[in-house]
Amino acid sequence: MTESAAFRPLHLLAAIAFPGAGHALAGDIRRAALICGGVLGLFFGGIFIGGIDVIDRREDPVWFYGQALVGPVAFAVDTLHQKRFKVIDPQTGASRSAYPTEGRDPATGRAVQGGTPPNQKSIGKVNELGTLYATLAGMLNLIVIIDAGFPSRRKAAAPS
Amino acid sequence: MPTPLPELCAPLLAAVPAAVNLPWRPFIDPIDVHRAWYLLIVPLALGISIVYKAVRVGDMRQYPRQVAVMTVQIIGAMALLGLASYLLIEHIVPAIFPAR
Repeated sequence: MTESAAFRPLHLLAAIAFPGAGHALAGDIRRAALICGGVLGLFFGGIFIGGIDVIDRREDPVWFYGQALVGPVAFAVDTLHQKRFKVIDPQTGASRSAYPTEGRDPATGRAVQGGTPPNQKSIGKVNELGTLYATLAGMLNLIVIIDAGFPSRRKAAAPS
Repeated sequence: MPTPLPELCAPLLAAVPAAVNLPWRPFIDPIDVHRAWYLLIVPLALGISIVYKAVRVGDMRQYPRQVAVMTVQIIGAMALLGLASYLLIEHIVPAIFPAR
């Protein structure tokens, strides 16, 4: 058995701030790099598959609870989605995704007919899988955060 | 047999040619993998294994092998679950409750 230690609040906060930062602070750079690459790879892999539409705190709040565990990165992507890609409906004044035949007025953010939509809304399995990738990234990062704050006893290598 | 999604969407897509002809923008628009979506389990399983084993493995010399084993385990388990679901829905349930 190895690596048993007391609660490390600084490492916990670092892990919350950025995936792998808690382990990097503890000096385990290789493990931190693998965690960072894995979590962010899954998170941005989900966005690559389903588009930025898969990170949506307003339309898919339950999924976003899981995605938010990736940390500030998830909130930054969601803010970008809400502020730069969604349009304001001229009738209701509510924020929504642009329809395929609509564009976005960059000055006001309102939907305009005949333009190019800021993003295409993903549908079906592609949307489901993209959302799942990003949510699993957050859930795995929760394990990472707990491990950074409350270092676990890892299995030592079996004697050869 | 259910109508494939692309056929269901064809009338809608024909109605909005401007949107259909838009160039794909990475990380903004979704990729078109509606026919091969099930292959996305491979990078998903690999990503899960990379993170989980980075936390769990003590001796990092064992890491690549552990990641490979866990990836294969996830894919194999999901394939078996899919097969079990197929057998249950298509064969076992109809055998227990035959159609009138």
